[in-house]
Amino acid sequence: MNRISFSFARKLPLAYISHLDMLRLFLRALRRSRLPLAFSQGFNPHPRLTLALPLPVGVTASEEYGEIYFTEFIRPEDFIGRLRPQLPEALELIDAYIVRPEAPSLASRIEAALYRAILKNGFEQRLTAESVRDALERLLAREEIIIQRKTKKKKTASTNVRPYIIEAVVKKEAGKPMELNLVLKAGSQGGISPVFLLEQLESDPVCTGISAHDWQLHRESIYVNNDGILQPVSEGM
Amino acid sequence: MMVNWMPIDKDIISDLLSRVQKPARYLGNEWNSCLKDHDRVAVRAVFAFPDLYEVGMSNQGLKILYECVNSRSDLLMERVFAPAADMEDLMRENDLPLFALESQEALKDFDVIGFSLQYELSYTNVLNMLDLAKIPLYSSERSESDPLVIGGGPCTFNPEPLAPFFDFFILGEAEEFLPDLLAELGALKGRCLNRNEILSAISDLESIYVPSLYRPLYRDGVLCGMEKLDSRPSDVIRKRTVKDLDCAPYPTSPIVSYIQTVHDRAVIELFRGCGKGCRFCQAGFIFRPVRSRSRKNILETAEAIIAATGYDEISLSSLSSTDYAQIETLISEMNEVFEESKVKCSLPSLRLDSYSVKLAEQLHQGRRSSLTFAPEAATERLRKVIGKNISEEDIFKALSDAVAAGWQGFKLYFMIGLPTEKDADVEAILTLCRKIRQHFKLKTGRSLKIVVSVSTFIPKPHTPFQWEPQLELSEVVNRQQILRKGFRNMPGFDYSWHEPEASLLEAVFARGDRLLAPLLERAWQLGCRFDGWSEHFSFERWQKAFRDLNIDAGSYAYRRFNYDEYLPWDHIDCGVSKEMFIREHRNALIDESTRRGIS
Ligand code: SF4
Repeated sequence: MNRISFSFARKLPLAYISHLDMLRLFLRALRRSRLPLAFSQGFNPHPRLTLALPLPVGVTASEEYGEIYFTEFIRPEDFIGRLRPQLPEALELIDAYIVRPEAPSLASRIEAALYRAILKNGFEQRLTAESVRDALERLLAREEIIIQRKTKKKKTASTNVRPYIIEAVVKKEAGKPMELNLVLKAGSQGGISPVFLLEQLESDPVCTGISAHDWQLHRESIYVNNDGILQPVSEGM
Repeated sequence: MMVNWMPIDKDIISDLLSRVQKPARYLGNEWNSCLKDHDRVAVRAVFAFPDLYEVGMSNQGLKILYECVNSRSDLLMERVFAPAADMEDLMRENDLPLFALESQEALKDFDVIGFSLQYELSYTNVLNMLDLAKIPLYSSERSESDPLVIGGGPCTFNPEPLAPFFDFFILGEAEEFLPDLLAELGALKGRCLNRNEILSAISDLESIYVPSLYRPLYRDGVLCGMEKLDSRPSDVIRKRTVKDLDCAPYPTSPIVSYIQTVHDRAVIELFRGCGKGCRFCQAGFIFRPVRSRSRKNILETAEAIIAATGYDEISLSSLSSTDYAQIETLISEMNEVFEESKVKCSLPSLRLDSYSVKLAEQLHQGRRSSLTFAPEAATERLRKVIGKNISEEDIFKALSDAVAAGWQGFKLYFMIGLPTEKDADVEAILTLCRKIRQHFKLKTGRSLKIVVSVSTFIPKPHTPFQWEPQLELSEVVNRQQILRKGFRNMPGFDYSWHEPEASLLEAVFARGDRLLAPLLERAWQLGCRFDGWSEHFSFERWQKAFRDLNIDAGSYAYRRFNYDEYLPWDHIDCGVSKEMFIREHRNALIDESTRRGIS
């Protein structure tokens, strides 16, 4: 059994598809590539592909990760060489390397993600960096930010998501659009979507007139926990 | 080559995409989609599907025509679907015209817009799409710079309610004909013929119906014939059929959608047409004769499709696939070919017999969730009337085999409002279902999950039941009530029904004439869209439209048409004669009376 971890970037038009769509897209590309996919056991065998952290719809990304198993040894460069022509332009395969089959799954090690929210063209007049900074400060000063989430059994549970916001800063350089840099908890231990944060901002009086849609969201990197230190996946390998 | 009349600001599209529910519907650019340089082709066409992307992308006609037109270097074909309500609102707010997915160019800048007319309840979407495209709704109001608006698909077998909105229709199977026709349209345009001259020039081609060249005649408000306004076209328009499926174009590189579509899998067509002749079924008549694809062709094509798409499932599609002559051999050959790549084969519809269950067993190794059957009626008498000749014994045998093979449940389709149906026939649905449950509870000790779906009979053109009235709405509601009450007391059944008001509308337009065109326009003005979707369908709006135009829905749906009256589709030849339909209709009723005599 051969396990390969790979990284990829997702650009704009493709940002509009869901996590399940991404999985299907990769699976079909892999099938077209005729690489020797390893299948799961059982009645309904399927290829063993995982994407480390689901990308929310509408979010572009610089460095995402996936893992896949093959029945035979595949060199990373062959993997890239065969898969790349089967992927749409907006999905760029960056790198691949071999992982020990017994190593814990990448998905289980993800702890956080760094997002950039870039204010879209035409909205600069509506708010200043100072007002956004104030609004963010007000938000982060709260001890609790409670959200209601639907659980599996159609019930709702309330969660305090304040601890999930690790960092949130405003950046404004001359000649460039305003930008928020958000480090948010993510992964199987719990996390929040950057859209939620933008919606919270939207409800602050100084930010009225701007909606969550007016920011282009981008995931810069995803972080694993290495002995208590958050590191981008590429450094924490 | 044409001048760009309506350049679209692509930044607007991109911004709107970030604001709608399912932006992927409007992305285009999917795997195997085809983007050509507009300046390098002679004729530019758009395939327009008047429903959501997910529905339209499952349409086999789209896949066939898209690939066969785009395989020609002098032609291009792009796609457009009905934008969902949220997208429509944003488009209107931003004055963004309807655009084709591939190039994001405005529809108005193409030469030909071809609508796929699959079901009557999509008609308001056709008008809405034309309006969003800023193309005049009525053929007579279009200018030389507007595209030709054409239609194809099953609804063209009675296109009269849509007639004034279309420049022409193509009847029947267009894949061997459309590329040449498009090229011909380009050539005629190149010779500086105007719209009317072009329409007249092609009106004598087989399967072309130019409605503006015919005028319906009425006597005392009753349709009595069609007058030709031009000497070229023939009196009767014959449908086009492909002779040999092995030679006809079939898509081997269909577009793979980014998002899940209704039928999200590869499709290989085993045969076209259906030999069964159930008396309510329009498909069974308009797609005749039965033509099979050879096993060799099926296997080769299936492999090519899988290689080009990466799908993990392929559907062996036909109106009744289990009737394919060498189906068993085919299935084992398919299983062999796809063993290693673990591509699953599936059958879309099953006949209710043991043989079909056996075939399903061969196919679905492992995956045994539920099987779908369509007994349509619950009494043998009524099944005989509609021409679905299966006995109750057959049904139980088939279901028993399925249960023994490990299936966990069934989906059963029934119809109510069938000709000669009585309350007792409806109650028999409950009795049959109860029997099925008891039978299997005793036998297996476990309860099966059974989904029962009940629709309303709709008299369709070109069927032996085309003269039959539809059951009146209040009566349909009564009979549904019988079922609803009955199933409430039967745990383990999941009962669903079609909205009876929508079925009424379907009957009106299925049997409608040209007088319905203004009604359609009125309903669209009142906001009717996506009438086939219960969350959008508004019967109140439709009722208002009927009132506004003083049209009686009942005169179309509830009236028994006479054998000797001129039907709105009498100038359309589906290949089966009216005499044969009359004979079949009489036989259906004789079946009924002889049975009554016995019992
Ligand atoms: S209902 Fe099915 S079996 Fe009967 S004629 Fe129609 S397609 Fe054929």
